[in-house]
Amino acid sequence: MKLFWLGILALSVAPALAGEWKIDSAKSQIGFVIKQMNVPVEGGFSRFDVHAEFDPAKPEAGQFKVEIDLASIDTGSAEGDAEVKRPAWFDIARYPKAGFVSKTIKKDGPGRYTVSGDFTLKGRARPLLAPFILTPQPGGGWLASGRATLKRSQFDIGGGEWADPSVVADDLEARFKFLLKP
Amino acid sequence: MRNRYSLPLIGLHWLTLLLIVVAYVLANLLEDMTLSPQKLQLYAWHKWVGMSVLFLLPLRLLLRFVDRFDHRTELTMLEVKASAAMHGVLYLLLIAVPVSGWLHSSAAGFSVVWFGVLPLPDLVGKDKALAEIFGELHEVSVNLLVVLAVVHAAAALYHHHIRRDGVLVRMAPWIKKKVQAKT
Repeated sequence: MKLFWLGILALSVAPALAGEWKIDSAKSQIGFVIKQMNVPVEGGFSRFDVHAEFDPAKPEAGQFKVEIDLASIDTGSAEGDAEVKRPAWFDIARYPKAGFVSKTIKKDGPGRYTVSGDFTLKGRARPLLAPFILTPQPGGGWLASGRATLKRSQFDIGGGEWADPSVVADDLEARFKFLLKP
Repeated sequence: MRNRYSLPLIGLHWLTLLLIVVAYVLANLLEDMTLSPQKLQLYAWHKWVGMSVLFLLPLRLLLRFVDRFDHRTELTMLEVKASAAMHGVLYLLLIAVPVSGWLHSSAAGFSVVWFGVLPLPDLVGKDKALAEIFGELHEVSVNLLVVLAVVHAAAALYHHHIRRDGVLVRMAPWIKKKVQAKT
């Protein structure tokens, strides 16, 4: 009986909390910075999808899912784009997508949050923390922008001859900017 | 009266030659390489060596300016003018070659961090079309530099072997002056 009432409660509360937002892909970005020979080099992905469900009054109760089409990578050079699709890196033939699923969202301050969840890349799921800020937009939407640091070795990205972090760093920073519309 | 340039100036002259040869050889190796960690390393070294040429140049010009040695001795008026013009163009190319490479790196989105330690500012923003133009300029200017450096060396050898004067010895004091050996 208790479960039943909890279920009723969940059904009645959930729609109110979980507003779904649509991503404006043209005004959204997923990029990264990785050091090569100690030179920070910028790259990004042009195709990705974001599923965002949250109540602006209480984003901590929301959920985010991000899916990235790895073939859309821009590493800054044509030969780099070709190289990272190979088995030593993303192995795109076997793992064409990377994804993030949020588990919890913590409020750090007014408009500032940290989302934690699992990031899956090359078949490996690893915990990821991403602080972000949520800013209301004139059109009634929200801009979520933030960053996350990760290590490529955690996902077996760029092994073998590429493993040496003094050439291509192990650490990289991912940056995202999602324009979410009602 | 000293018959040679000051030793720091002589050192910088030959060091510049050595750096240019190294950068040139690295560039030629890079052209035939597919992407690999070695290629990224050689690319970085090429840039570091090239930037060293650029940063040594002001010091060289300063030393040349304060050196009291009169380079006009043993030269005809025409030779004084021709050598001044040649040296001027060589100095300009010693600026143009590394700077066009630096511009190319900036426009391509691969900045230069000198010896992996000192980040050099980007001279222009990331722009593929600009990167190609600067890449072309880099190649054209380096080819011109190589041709003129060969002419420059040929002129020095002409002075040494045909004219038998002390022009080459000024910059290479370890070589015995021919005219002294003959007379």
